[in-house]
Amino acid sequence: MKSDIQPGRDPIHSVKTNTSKRKKRSDKLAAYLLVLPALILILVIAIWPVLQSFYFSLFDLRLNDPTKSSTHINYSLDLDRYLNNYPFLIGTIDSEIRSGNAPDQLQKIKERLQQVDREIQQDPTVKKSYNAVNEKLINFQQVPSDLSIVDVDRDTAKKLMKEVTAIANEVSALTKETTFKQGNKLKGLASGLDDSFIEPNYIGFKHYTENLSGNRMWKAISNTVIFTVISVFIELAIGLAIALLINKAFFGRGLVRASILIPWAIPTAVSALMWKYLYDGQNGVVAKLFEKVGLVDHMTNLLTTETGSFFSVIFADVWKTTPYMALLLLAGLQTIPASMYEAAAIDGAGKWKQFLTITLPLLKSSILVALLFRTLDAFRVFDLIFVLTGGGPANSTETISVLAYKVMFSQTNFGEGSALSVIVFICVAIISMIYIKFLGKDLLQDGAK
Amino acid sequence: MKKKAGVPFYIFLVVFVFVVMFPFLWVLASSIKPATELFGDKAFTPFTDHPTFKNYVSVFANHPFLRYMWNSFVVAFITTVYTVFVASLASYAIARLDFKGKTVILGLVLSVSMFPQIATISPIYIFLKNVGLTNSYMGLIIPYTTFALPLSIWILVTFFRKIPFDLEEAAKMDGASLMQTYWKVIMPLAVPGIFTTAILVFIACWNEFLFALTINTEEKFKTVPVGIAMFQGQFTVPWGEISAATIIVTIPLVILVLLFQRRIISGLTSGAVKE
Repeated sequence: MKSDIQPGRDPIHSVKTNTSKRKKRSDKLAAYLLVLPALILILVIAIWPVLQSFYFSLFDLRLNDPTKSSTHINYSLDLDRYLNNYPFLIGTIDSEIRSGNAPDQLQKIKERLQQVDREIQQDPTVKKSYNAVNEKLINFQQVPSDLSIVDVDRDTAKKLMKEVTAIANEVSALTKETTFKQGNKLKGLASGLDDSFIEPNYIGFKHYTENLSGNRMWKAISNTVIFTVISVFIELAIGLAIALLINKAFFGRGLVRASILIPWAIPTAVSALMWKYLYDGQNGVVAKLFEKVGLVDHMTNLLTTETGSFFSVIFADVWKTTPYMALLLLAGLQTIPASMYEAAAIDGAGKWKQFLTITLPLLKSSILVALLFRTLDAFRVFDLIFVLTGGGPANSTETISVLAYKVMFSQTNFGEGSALSVIVFICVAIISMIYIKFLGKDLLQDGAK
Repeated sequence: MKKKAGVPFYIFLVVFVFVVMFPFLWVLASSIKPATELFGDKAFTPFTDHPTFKNYVSVFANHPFLRYMWNSFVVAFITTVYTVFVASLASYAIARLDFKGKTVILGLVLSVSMFPQIATISPIYIFLKNVGLTNSYMGLIIPYTTFALPLSIWILVTFFRKIPFDLEEAAKMDGASLMQTYWKVIMPLAVPGIFTTAILVFIACWNEFLFALTINTEEKFKTVPVGIAMFQGQFTVPWGEISAATIIVTIPLVILVLLFQRRIISGLTSGAVKE
């Protein structure tokens, strides 16, 4: 047991008697119990999904394609689908044979199908699931997906898949030559049977190599970096200036503070929409203003050209978050004792010198913390750009989060989208590591002094 | 640096506040304009001669706007109550008790609060879809925990640290158990801090966009930010309605900010400023 004395703790308690030891131990236990619920929630709801994102990114996962809608490492067979096709296919073939439509060919196909079915049932575990699923289907019950999908070993699966694909092709060719009673049904059932075999969609790092060698992701990354660097820099400069200016007693302080807080408080999506109105090419007053001042040639250019829209996005972000920056820095400024400036003034230091030798060094950790939070926020920007420009025109304002969203939810390509989101995650991790190196342990230290 | 402010300073202040507030003022002016004055020559005159509340009426008549607000409120409220409760226990232990792995836990909390939401969305979406929780309140409350919980712990730890340690010691000397100390001594003193945290978490949940956009796509379960963003039609943008809706969601926030500005600022800056 450690015997270090707690700051502010009565020395009596650190005397190592048996009772205090026991008390200390039970305190420790209580501490763990108190932290536990929060820790479990964080692990389950935040950390596990990030790991899973990485896992998903190794698969060709597409929600709109039933054979790729979940992760498959092995070859497998969807028994639900198989048994919804196989018996009906055999039945249809039988009825066509009875009607005398291409009986010889169909008889052969039927025998080959039955051979496939026998081979599937050879594996005892598959056979068990096979019967269970069959029973559920006969009773018109829902088949749960964990029962329906069974693993099949690689060689058998490949062989069977080849055979079933060949059969499906043959049936399709046959329907062209011969007129069947139910030609389309025959074709549909055969191809449905073919679809019930699932190939593994594990593709390793293919999503990463594809994205890292393609243009769109690099463009999105560079957009994100440019957006982050420019907007955070402007926010810091203006925020610091404002903080220095309003760091004094004046009438109406509360009102100013409240007006500063409002842009921060409203939803980004709503403020983005508001700016979209103000930037509008025909009726936007800010666009008109920019045209008058000469920032853009014509007001319609603001949201339709690359530089125009990039500028608009940064301007809207600066408007929304500079006040927040100013508040953080103001709080830092207020911790600097006025006596230091007085002493410096007596020593004959000018305003600029005071700023460089007192304000900046003492404000360093406040500035770094504010920068850390703002940089990470800017790097994962989504709402503002999604609503204001949608990433356009021609992807010129598309940031990495917007790109990942589009790939996931517009193209329903969850594998690639997950890979992109893992890339965002890695970037954010690198940025925070750099900042934390600068900040040292300052951020996490026990501030109880 | 505490000196008297002069006239130029007040002029600067007025200009500054005007610039910050300008978008709202313009949108407020637009929201009471009749549709014809939103376009063409009249689009750039701030005041209308024919003020009308038609836009406000149509926000509620043409869109389930009350429903959006109710959804946002329910989700934000439940998330706030439960995360702040869980966080208050953890923060108390981290700030006041002595145990191994404290710094690691706090570091973990901080890093999770920096997670980009997009990095967790695909597994969360697939999970919620598989268990049938998309388009439900739970479907948002669960993912909102990812940012609400670390945020509350981070803020609360600083608040708990500010409470003098002597009080706890005195309670212990009198033989109070840990839980008694927590509920009877610490809690009453921590109420302002907890309230501040709750305001900040509530605002964060109320404003959340990405999860709300992807998980609750049905009209019935949309939240305010998503609802307003989807006002934009395929070909026309109803700027009048959008202006009115913006004003409607801004007013409660303005009131909240005016009432609690001191608390909000202390919450925002706690953890960011070392005293």
